[in-house]
Amino acid sequence: MTAVLQKLSAFFRRVPFNREKAHQAQHPFWVIVRKETMDQINSRRFIILLGLMLLTAIASLYTAMSSLQSAISEDTSTSFVFLKLFTATDGTLPPFITFISLLGPIIGIALGFDAVNSERSRGTLSRLLAQPISRDYIINAKFVASLSIISMMVITLGLLMFGMGILLTGIPPTPEEFWRIFFFLLVSIVYIGVWLNLAIMFSVKFKQSATSALSGLAVWLFFSLFFTMLVNIIVQSTMPTQVTDVNQLISYQSFVQNLLRISPSQLFSEATTTLLVPTIRTLGPVTVEQASYALAGPLPLGQSLLLVWPQLTCLVAEACLIFGLSYVLFMKQEVRSRL
Amino acid sequence: MQRHLQKIVVILMLMGLMGGILFPVLPALAATAGVQLFTEYSGIAVTPGQSINYSINIINNSNSIQHASLEITEQPEGWETSLTAGGWNISRLSVRPQSEESFTLQTEVPLQVEKGSYRFTIRATDTAGRVSTLPIAIEVTEQGTFRTELETDQPNMQGNADSSFNYRLTLRNRTADEQLYALSTDAPRGWNVDFEVSSQKVTSVKVEANTAQEINVTIAPPAEIEAGTYTIPVQAQAGSSSAEAELEVNITGTYRMELSTPTGRLSTDITAGKEKMVELQLNNTGSSELEDIKLSQSAPVDWEVKFEPQIIESLLPGESATVNARIKSSGKAISGDYLVNIQAQTPEVSDSADFRITVKTSALWGWIGVFIIAMVGAGIYYLFHKFGRQ
Repeated sequence: MTAVLQKLSAFFRRVPFNREKAHQAQHPFWVIVRKETMDQINSRRFIILLGLMLLTAIASLYTAMSSLQSAISEDTSTSFVFLKLFTATDGTLPPFITFISLLGPIIGIALGFDAVNSERSRGTLSRLLAQPISRDYIINAKFVASLSIISMMVITLGLLMFGMGILLTGIPPTPEEFWRIFFFLLVSIVYIGVWLNLAIMFSVKFKQSATSALSGLAVWLFFSLFFTMLVNIIVQSTMPTQVTDVNQLISYQSFVQNLLRISPSQLFSEATTTLLVPTIRTLGPVTVEQASYALAGPLPLGQSLLLVWPQLTCLVAEACLIFGLSYVLFMKQEVRSRL
Repeated sequence: MQRHLQKIVVILMLMGLMGGILFPVLPALAATAGVQLFTEYSGIAVTPGQSINYSINIINNSNSIQHASLEITEQPEGWETSLTAGGWNISRLSVRPQSEESFTLQTEVPLQVEKGSYRFTIRATDTAGRVSTLPIAIEVTEQGTFRTELETDQPNMQGNADSSFNYRLTLRNRTADEQLYALSTDAPRGWNVDFEVSSQKVTSVKVEANTAQEINVTIAPPAEIEAGTYTIPVQAQAGSSSAEAELEVNITGTYRMELSTPTGRLSTDITAGKEKMVELQLNNTGSSELEDIKLSQSAPVDWEVKFEPQIIESLLPGESATVNARIKSSGKAISGDYLVNIQAQTPEVSDSADFRITVKTSALWGWIGVFIIAMVGAGIYYLFHKFGRQ
């Protein structure tokens, strides 16, 4: 058994080496990316994360299957059965989208928290910089490698849900459902990317990888636990005592909603819920005027995307901004070789 | 003198007594001559075709059984008569002493009979050869007929072209024989006339002599018929006799209107806050001219629907008119489907069409989002440029 494992690991080590040899003329940036990717994949961390995601997929499929029957019979107006696999729950376990919004940050933080400071503490960073490559190749390559692993993970997970869903329900997804799930996976990648960038930023900022990991987790905990409490406190203190006008109430409501949207997980859950539940027509409060003569029905995919476009924009922009920040921090940092 | 007077009184009293006893006996003695015929109704009035069962009593006043032979000595020509008692045709009847029996004179008033009075005389001859006669007068109150009658109480009906008209006809066979009548109509082309007897569609009907048969006639006019009064003749024809009735159908014009679009599509999409023109088509599918067709709408709050023209003055049958509806959605409408109901109304008729209008939000914010991301991308490119080549 151990012999087999050794052979396997030897095989895995050999393959990239051979490939590296074969692509001798490859751009140094992609060489670093490849190296980083291999390092990540071979680490125990990756196996743990993959196992976690697998468990997530199986658990959420289980809950979805047990509640799919009632979810379909409740909602006869739409026939998006396949999407129900991602959103349906019987109450014992959260659905798939909640799992992703909860565990996605952990994956991002886990893949990025020691990106730079581990190299630094091992003293390999200065050696790397001694090579004739641009300095930003290192941070860019680390980001690209981690993001590609995340993409691979999320897409694998999505395909797993697809396959198991078809196997268990016997219903193939419609093109509309396929594209909705595709966009959902894309948003998930961007969302995890935000947390990855945050973790990379901390890894640039803090010398100790434990500190950066903890600060990343602290931010995650803050947004998933304390942020809503904080917003509640703000709501209680600023709530208008006298409501004289519907518009006043609506504007206050949207103020509260915008406060909540500071949290990336709020943006993510709004975006994914709208994508996976086509009957959601608006995310804000609906006035009586807007609801009059409205017919219940699913939105086309384009309209759903347009509805959550601000959320998507925000997520992408956040990811880019945090990356830019960590980029600047890294570029301006002094790197000394350890003697 | 006084004794003489008393004698006279006694004699008178005796005579009075004698008279009191004797006088009732005298007619009885006269009646013992034989039998007497009696009926309560010696003069009756009847109609042609009616059958008469005339009850007559024969009274035996004697103290012996009387065997009376009965005969009809006088009767109008063509009347069939018989005397019956106890279910038999009789010619002789025996009556117990001081008793009476009844028998029946059966006759039928002929269909062909003149109006007037007819006489019957029945004669009873008893054993001793004494005769008693009973004259009967029968008054025929109507002129008798020998023909078929097809009648209805209500020959005129009114309705629109969609309705069907139900007439109830009575076919009377006033002939002496059973007749098989063929039922037919000379209705113009396009009219549908059905004859029904006991809820069954029929083309002929058998009617016994001097009875009547109810016939239901259902008339359905052609769909595209103009308003007016139409006469539909219906006939019942048998070999020797026939009858005709004319049924009048008064068709009022129908008012029908259809509101749709030239393509028949009742859905469209619209950008929130923007205007969209929808072409409507009004068809007059009725048979009358429609006047002053007004268009109205019920749409979501803050939506505007304007019609050009707002009123159609006149629309002839079979013609169609086009109306442009400008639908302006509310700027606050959320994306998704809304219902806009458009009605066309005249005092006579109305029609409505439900439009499913899909609101799309403006893509402007989408482009702004793209722009923001492009800006961020440009910022990062700038960073790459500034720091990257150190």
